Amino acid sequence: MIQGQVIGEVWATKKMGHLQGQKLILVAQREKAGFAGRVIVAMDSMDAREGDEVVVSFGSGARNVFMPGSRTILVDAAISQIIDRRPVI
Amino acid sequence: MFLGKVVGYVWSTVKWPELQGIKMLLIKPYNYDEITGKATGPDFDAVVAADVLGAGPGEDVVVAYGHAARVGIEEDLAEGEPPHFPIDAAVVAIVDNFFVKANEKNNN
Repeated sequence: MIQGQVIGEVWATKKMGHLQGQKLILVAQREKAGFAGRVIVAMDSMDAREGDEVVVSFGSGARNVFMPGSRTILVDAAISQIIDRRPVI
Repeated sequence: MFLGKVVGYVWSTVKWPELQGIKMLLIKPYNYDEITGKATGPDFDAVVAADVLGAGPGEDVVVAYGHAARVGIEEDLAEGEPPHFPIDAAVVAIVDNFFVKANEKNNN
């Protein structure tokens, strides 16, 4: 899992059937100073808004957010937590 | 999944038989500095992804990795049937538009 901030949204008309009706949001991964790396596109079922700090799960963990145990849904990154408070160590 | 721009094609003649007819695209992922216009991204960090949606060079796409990529390419799988294509990245959406917050706060 990674921690990041929601920075935006993606709209796509032409997409795979599995993605119909799913909200896709852009998440920037947190690093010690600011953000780094690739911008992640994650599926959101928790209504995360831009500016929210979130935890993104990948792989099987992401599928379990939508349909626990399923191996036939197309999800490889999903918002699994919205962070209330983020202590900085 | 990540957001990237299609920068080219990959052709190959010798490949796994079931991959015949599946187009391979070269995709350059967007990174944070690039998407917010602060700096240019790395020179080259491209990913080869399978495409059945018909994306072309210059278009922005969403790419899925791993199991999700195989599920996407083999969309008519029966419940419980494992996907078997030898791919691990696939284009799952062609982006019309994306919106990115211009200035971030609380950026420690």
